[in-house]
Amino acid sequence: MEFATVLKWGHVAVWLIVVSLIVFVQLCLGAGRLWLAWTACGLRTFALLLNFLTGQNLNYREITHLVPVRFLGESVAAAKGVPNPWMLVGQLSLVVWLVFTIDAIITTWRRGDRERALAVGGSIVFFALVSSIQAPLVLWGIIQMPLSASLFFTGLVTVMGYELSSESVRASQLDRKLQESEAGLHEIEERMRLAVESADFGIWIRDLVQDEIWATDKWRALFGFSDTERLKLDKILERIHAEDQDKFRSVLEAARSEGSYEAEFRVVLPTGKVRWIGSHGRGEFDGTGKLILVRGVSHDITARRQAEEETQNSRREIAHIGRVSLMGQLASALAHEINQPLGAILRNAEAAELYLQNGSPDLEEIRAIFADIRKDGQRAGSVIDRMRALLKRQNLDKRLIDVSQIVGEVVVLVHSDVTARHVKFEVAVADRLPPVCGDAVHLQQVLLNLFGNAMDALDEAKTGDRRVSVTASLDGPQTIEIAVSDSGCGIPADKLQHIFDPFFTTKPKGMGMGLPISRTIIGAHGGRLWAENRPDGGASFRFTLPITEGSTAK
Amino acid sequence: MNETAPIVHVVDDDASFLTAISRLLRANGFSVKTYSSAHEFLAQREADTPGCVLADLRMPQMSGLDLQTALAQTPNPLPILFLTGHGDIPSTVRAMRDGAEDFLEKTAPKKKLLDAVTRALARDSREREARARRCELRARLDTLTEREFEVLAHVVRGQLNKQIAGDLGIHERTVKLHRTAITTKLKVQSVAELTRLTQEAGIFPGPVRTFPKGQ
Repeated sequence: MEFATVLKWGHVAVWLIVVSLIVFVQLCLGAGRLWLAWTACGLRTFALLLNFLTGQNLNYREITHLVPVRFLGESVAAAKGVPNPWMLVGQLSLVVWLVFTIDAIITTWRRGDRERALAVGGSIVFFALVSSIQAPLVLWGIIQMPLSASLFFTGLVTVMGYELSSESVRASQLDRKLQESEAGLHEIEERMRLAVESADFGIWIRDLVQDEIWATDKWRALFGFSDTERLKLDKILERIHAEDQDKFRSVLEAARSEGSYEAEFRVVLPTGKVRWIGSHGRGEFDGTGKLILVRGVSHDITARRQAEEETQNSRREIAHIGRVSLMGQLASALAHEINQPLGAILRNAEAAELYLQNGSPDLEEIRAIFADIRKDGQRAGSVIDRMRALLKRQNLDKRLIDVSQIVGEVVVLVHSDVTARHVKFEVAVADRLPPVCGDAVHLQQVLLNLFGNAMDALDEAKTGDRRVSVTASLDGPQTIEIAVSDSGCGIPADKLQHIFDPFFTTKPKGMGMGLPISRTIIGAHGGRLWAENRPDGGASFRFTLPITEGSTAK
Repeated sequence: MNETAPIVHVVDDDASFLTAISRLLRANGFSVKTYSSAHEFLAQREADTPGCVLADLRMPQMSGLDLQTALAQTPNPLPILFLTGHGDIPSTVRAMRDGAEDFLEKTAPKKKLLDAVTRALARDSREREARARRCELRARLDTLTEREFEVLAHVVRGQLNKQIAGDLGIHERTVKLHRTAITTKLKVQSVAELTRLTQEAGIFPGPVRTFPKGQ
């Protein structure tokens, strides 16, 4: 009787184990069909009900006696009696459970998690199979051994325990990694922020799904938006310079069609200020290839663009100066050379015209005329070619030169002029100036030009004190500054900004080319030439020459 | 005096232009002779044929301006017209001051060129006539005796017979005789005519100076 009761309550444990194993498989492997799980649980619950309602327990309708059975070398008691036919319900639940588990294993196996599928699933299947086969065999007296499902379950629990503990170890490892990566993420974020701040980048993201635009404060500042203003595409478009609107739109298109874009355009700030923006970014697409997000970086390139423009302007000016100064010398020769063949062509054509007006023109003569015209046309062309070859720009011949020597040589050159004009000439060149890299002849031309201007200024001023001074000294560690000053009446304020313009001159016979050419020469040496009025009267022209920098520039 | 048609002498070292301009001038009915240098022209020139010179300003060895100077020293200078590829102001000024007919660029309009040539030939014809007349007058003057010439010089200065007689230390009647001989030889009727003739011939005041005042 007691044995029957133990067996009866034992089925509660079996129910618990089966249900919990189903839950375990479901959670641990994340696989298995739900309807199979529910069926197995339902059948097992039904079996538990039958366990209490029919016979002494699910296994025996009635236990008649206990017989000693040899099991694992020990003598244990095994029940003997009438088996309960409802036991099959229990076995059926085990079969369904088995099917559910195998199904879960297959899914897991296919997913690639083979080790776990074998360990968890395999053990469950093995024990479920063994226990569901052993019970009927024992009960119907086919084999002599005790009902020992619990023994098999012990093995199952061991496997589960192993699996669970390794899971928890893995979980804790993951947790640690997560913490580490979070710290790393924070670090990356900080670095990113630092980089963005120092690079003066503004970042923006346009979400096309939500139709929202998000941007950093820096970006807002670049485009002249306040920190709180809601950003809209049309509002941004309003800020784009009218001439760059089309370019900006095509950029939006490029992000859509090519996935990335790069562009430079101008924005007009509410204050009216124009700012050049360099921008590049990438689009993000959903599964169907629809653009859903665009991320971009913008930065202020105004300074660079201005520098580029200045370079271009000065290049243009240099080209112009080169052209006009050479033209001054060559224009006459060119016109003469060109007018010879042109004159011949003209006269020949005029003669041919007259011949043709004649009733019976001399075709032989006209043919000769045309041959001559062609020859002279070619001659005119070759004159142009020759001139073009002459006009090719000559490079500076840069060497290491001593500033004091250059100044000294030019002072000697102007000596007679200085004496004739009754000018007091003062030279103050600092001792031991480092050498500069430059073209001595060009630099001497600059000095000659400045000395000439200074002495002309004295003639115009007609003051009693006629002094011209030249000084050369270090201006910082990298630069030598040379100044040519006079005691004339200085440069009128309205002319000061024009004296370096080509063709601007205040002298009756001046070409207006001396100062612009001088400035070009100094610029080509990596220096700067400028003019100022001295506080005690007179003008001062100063230029700098780099000591090391520019010494390698060609 | 030679009655041949006037010739346009073109002097230019640029053979191509030389051919072209002579074609144009010939097509316009001018007689043209071409020379590749000023020396060649001066050597080949036939004395006293009517015409004009068209010369390039810039030529090696002898320039157009040098040619102008050389031509002016001959007894029969031709009007000179300068052509240049590109004229600079100093050359132009010098050429015009020294009596150049015109100064044209080689690409100058046809009309301007042809007008200038026509003008130069007209001027040559005018000057040639003046020269011929002067020649003829001089020939007449050459028939005068030395004494008659002396008397003529005094007459054209407006002196009376008495003054002339005093100056030359001869009789007033002798002066009258000389005057009659002069008017006969020079085929003139009045003193006014006589004065005009001497001026045309260009002999006075030059020869007059040979008689110092107060003598």
